[in-house]
Formats: sequence, structure tokens, C-alpha cells
Amino acid sequence: MTHIGLAMFGMVLAGAMTAASAQVGTTAADIEHQKAGEQKAINLCSTCHGPRGISTSPEFPVLAAQQRGYLESQLEAFRAKTREEKIAHDFMWGIAGDLDDHMIDSVARYYAAQPPAPGRPSDAALMAKGKQLFEQGVPDRGIPSCTTCHGADAAGVADFPRLAGQHAKYIVKQIEYIQSLVRKAPVMHGIVKDLTPDEMRAIAAYVQSK
Amino acid sequence: MFWQLAIRILGAPTLVLLFTAAFAGSAGAVPSFARQTGQECIACHVSFPELTPYGRYFKLTGYTIGKTFVSSAGFNYVPLAVMAQGSVTNTRNNNATDPDTGNTVSLNQRNNGFVFSGGSAFLATKVNDYVGGFIQWTYDNLATTADGSLGGHSGIDNTDLRAVGKYSGPGAAEPDLIYGLTLNNNPTVQDPWNSTPAFGFPYTASPLAQTPAAATQIDGGLAQQVAGVGGYLWWKKTLYGELSFYRTADGAFSILRAGQDTHTDGAVAGVQRWNNPYWRFALSHDWGPHSVMLGTYGMIVNRYPSNLDTSTATDRYRDIAIDAQYQYITDPHTFTAQATYISERQSYNASYSAVQETGAGIGAGPTPDNPTDTLKTFKIKGTYYHDRQYGGTLAYFSTTGSADGGLYGTDADGNARTPNSTGYIAELDYLPIQNVRLMLQYTGYTKFNGAKNDYNGNGRNAGDNNTLFFNVWVAF
Repeated sequence: MTHIGLAMFGMVLAGAMTAASAQVGTTAADIEHQKAGEQKAINLCSTCHGPRGISTSPEFPVLAAQQRGYLESQLEAFRAKTREEKIAHDFMWGIAGDLDDHMIDSVARYYAAQPPAPGRPSDAALMAKGKQLFEQGVPDRGIPSCTTCHGADAAGVADFPRLAGQHAKYIVKQIEYIQSLVRKAPVMHGIVKDLTPDEMRAIAAYVQSK
Repeated sequence: MFWQLAIRILGAPTLVLLFTAAFAGSAGAVPSFARQTGQECIACHVSFPELTPYGRYFKLTGYTIGKTFVSSAGFNYVPLAVMAQGSVTNTRNNNATDPDTGNTVSLNQRNNGFVFSGGSAFLATKVNDYVGGFIQWTYDNLATTADGSLGGHSGIDNTDLRAVGKYSGPGAAEPDLIYGLTLNNNPTVQDPWNSTPAFGFPYTASPLAQTPAAATQIDGGLAQQVAGVGGYLWWKKTLYGELSFYRTADGAFSILRAGQDTHTDGAVAGVQRWNNPYWRFALSHDWGPHSVMLGTYGMIVNRYPSNLDTSTATDRYRDIAIDAQYQYITDPHTFTAQATYISERQSYNASYSAVQETGAGIGAGPTPDNPTDTLKTFKIKGTYYHDRQYGGTLAYFSTTGSADGGLYGTDADGNARTPNSTGYIAELDYLPIQNVRLMLQYTGYTKFNGAKNDYNGNGRNAGDNNTLFFNVWVAF
């Protein structure tokens, strides 16, 4: 198994363990925390991310049905200012800086529980190329299939994000950020470092359509 | 005394640097709302002061997103911000003939010279989850003094204090209703769209340029002279409605016109107590990177001809306006456009009667030849920004109205002049950092105070007032 493969296996295992050990609490305090998270999502997050996490502006990611573990890790990264791309710096550092662990947990649960955004198809040829890349990778260049971590339906698992229904523009920008090391994601960097702009657009068009 | 001594010892530039450094916070040295939210300016502004959809939400929810400046955790940030501007103004033809002496005089006393225009301090903060606002205090370094020279003067500027609430029904995914109260000192300063006058284009104009004489009441005619209290509703971020009532900012509200010359006749507006309703309705929709708004606003102003005599009858100004805004906001391309049309009907119930009876107006009030006049203003502009750093704007403006020799004088043939002025603005902006904006603006007039040529009967043409303006804007 390659180093990338080992790292992915470890992250999946860690994510699964996290999911298993963090069942929804039922104490009064847990319920209060969850209500507070919902109110935060309704009154603040929805301004950019849309009602129930379905944003219309491609500048802001869809959060609906996103993996809870991924949402938590990203909110923690914004709070710790370790996720540094421009829009994260300009918008999310301030928002996440005010969130405590309970709030991060409850906001993540809220969005993870929302119905997913419907797929939005675009150019058929581009989506077909993206489907092939997503499902098969580019073996000749050592680029693995995206399904390995993000799932055959692009729904993600644990710390691996859901990509289905995400804005294509947002996907492309994130791949670019990861490729250029602006966004620190070592595993993903190893996978996407040789993707061409056309390949990024194709993958993005495909997952947006899912 | 302290500041005079400090300036003498350290020099003004050093003090400005020390002052701004003292208020520069960890959020990257941006004004206090950015320190409050922890977010950068571009979250709320396309370019100051034009608001993004998120900025409008921030404003209509009473500036309450983010932290209070003091909490149980201690002192969170300094709720103050400062802004300063320096500029160069070139008036195309700066020489004019004094009609009394026949001598040539300079219209712009600092033509082509770099001047410190002035600066503002803002107290701007969230008070709690339901109350927030800002108070702007401005030092004008180029105010016209009693003897006609330029000098320093300070006073209150735009102010907007709010109390707000939100309602979300069962199963709501975003607020169904946002409601609030506003206390402010400039009709439309409370508006979240930038097609209305208070925060409309041009966002910065030369303090030394020649400008048209006529403007409607709602277009700055009452700014920092009145106090208004109103309530608003914003339903599903789609329908907006507001009703406010204004009065002269005297008595308990006098802080809202602090610094104004209230003792000189004509220096400020005097209006009836609370009998000046302002309304605003807007329909807005955001989709994808697009945001559009169609709206109407207006005001009825019952104004005393002389601010020093409230025993007289009043003149009535009825301003009715329509406006629209479109925004396309992405990274890196941003395009925005605003337009408004204001129609004012001026009923000189008091002034016209006085002129008819006595041959003069009331105090320093208007001296109309007509019992009623109209004044109409149209403005439209489009702005493109790349990466929120490089911007360009094109704008057109037009003011037209009734010919009235009592208000605007007569031409050589004895015909009453009009207030008509039309022109365009071309502007380039560059923001090396988000706290600094360098601006080059050209204003061209095709008509000025009623005519293209010889508008003042002294040979001056509209184009003589064309202005090239370079401005440096800094805010911390």
C-alpha cells in the first residue's frame, strides 16, 4: 500500500471511530446545545450558505448533507486560522472565532442532517469526462479514483467531504488552493497536484450534477 | 492645549500614525465593525460604502453580528475607527470674474495643491444582541469660514442607531422576519441599498469643486440637521418596508446636529416637529452571484423658510423616488449598478405668500416667483472591480426643474433660469490594501445651474467647472 493509501485508510478509520463515539446526546444540555447550533445556522450561516445549507452563490459552499466530521474539522481549522485561503480568511475566521466546541458540534450536526442539494447538470461532455476521472482516476499518471475516499456517489464519509451537489466553481477553487498549498491538505495535495485545469473543471461539473 | 503642544512637538503626521496604530486591532487594522465581526471589509462592502448582501443583513440586523467590545471574557476590541482623506482638485477654469469688482478671483482656493481634506472618528459597535449602531464625527479641514477663507471645523456626521429583533416560524431555515427601530440624522442613511442618496454615488467628491446649486430635500438637504425615528420590516429578505418621522434635531436630539451653525439664518434646516414622514419600500432577490432590488422611497418635508422663526407657516416639499440596484459579486469579478429618480414638488405656501405680500422672503428663506416648482434628479452608475482592488465607475447625473427667477435668477434677456445641471463622472480606484483607496475622478458638466454656456451671466460655461480630483482615503 502506498503512503497515500495508508494515510487515506487511517483517516477513514479515524473518521469512523469519531462518528461512532459521538452519538447525538439526549441530556437537557445536549438539546440546548443543539438548539443553539440551529439558531446560529438559521440566523447567521444561512446568510451566505443559504437556507438549510443550500447556497445559491458559487462563492459559498453548499453545506447541506455535508459530512459532520468534515464540517467539524473545517470549523476548527477556521477557528485555529489554519485554513487560509482568501475567502476563509476574509469571512470564516471571524465567524468561527466565536464558536466554542459545543457550537461547532451542533452546527455540524445541523447541516449534516439537512437534505442534500439537488444535482445541477451542465455541459454533457464535460460531465462525462468528469465521471470518468472521478470513477477511474488517471492510472497512467498515478492519480487514483476519487471514489476511494469520497464514495461512489460522492457523498463523502467522516472527514472526507461530500462533493455531490457542490458548486463547480467552489470545487475548482479548492482544488487549486490545495494544489498550490494555500489550503493545507497533504493527502489531497498528493492526489490533485498533477490535475490540469480542464480535468478540474470536468470533475467539478460532474460532482455538481450528482 | 495638549493637542496643540503635541502637534508642535511631534508633528501632525506622526500623531496620525500613532493614533491609527493605537486603534489598529488584530483583525488586520480595519474599522471597528470588522474588529467586531472578525471579518474583512469585503465581507460587507463591495468597496466602501457599497454593501454586499451580507453587509445589508449586517446593517438591518442592527450591526449585532459578532462580539460586543466588552464581555465576560474581557475587553475584545476597540469600538472606534478613524478615517482620513487627502486630495488634489483641479478645476478646469479656476478663474472667475467678481461681478462686483470686475476682478479675477480664484474659485478654488487650493487649486492643484494637495490638501488634507479632513477625517472622521467612528464609534461603531454592537451593544448587545439587539442593539447596535454607529456615530460618525467629522473634522472638515476645508470648511468655509465667515470671512470666506477655508478653515477647520468639526461636527457630527452620519449616525444610525438601531434596536432589532428576528422572527423565525416553525421549521424556518432562515429568519422569516427581521424588524427594527432606527434613530438617525439623515434621511436614507439607514437604507441598506446604495441607490439612495446618503450612501449613493459618488461616494467621495471633491470638497473644493464647484457643484450645482439645486438638490432635493431628501438628497442631502436635511443631512445632520434632523432627527428621525422609524420602524422597518424585512420579510424573508425579499420585501422591505420602513416608515420614519423626522423633526429638527433640537432639544433632546440636538446631539444629532452637533457642530452645525444653528444661530445663522439659513445655515440649517428647520422643519416641523415629527410632521415629516419618510417611507421606503423595496423588493429584493438574491440568486447565485446576483442580487437585484427595485424600490421606492420618499418624504414629505414641512420646512420653515427661516430656521430661526418657527412661528411662520411652512413650505412643503414632497419627494417621491424610485430606485434600483443590481450586483454581481464573484471572485474576482464584481459588477454593480445603481439608479434613482427623485421627483420633488415644492409648494412655497409660506415663502411665496411672503414674497407676494412684502416683496421679500421670510428671513434667509427662499424667494420663489412661483407658488409651486418641481425639481427632478436622475442618477445612474455602473462599477466594475477586479479582485476588489482595481475598480472603475461611470456615472451620469441630471437635475432638471421649473424655471423660477426668484430662486435661480434671470438671464440677460430677463428669462427665468432653471436649476438644470447634467454631467458625468468617470472614476478609477485602486486599493493597495483594503484600508487604503486611491481614487482619480473626473466630473464633466454639460449643463450647470441652468445653461451650457454663460450660466451665471458672467461668461462662465458649464465645462469650466469640470473637475479632476485625486483622493487618498485611509481608514483604520
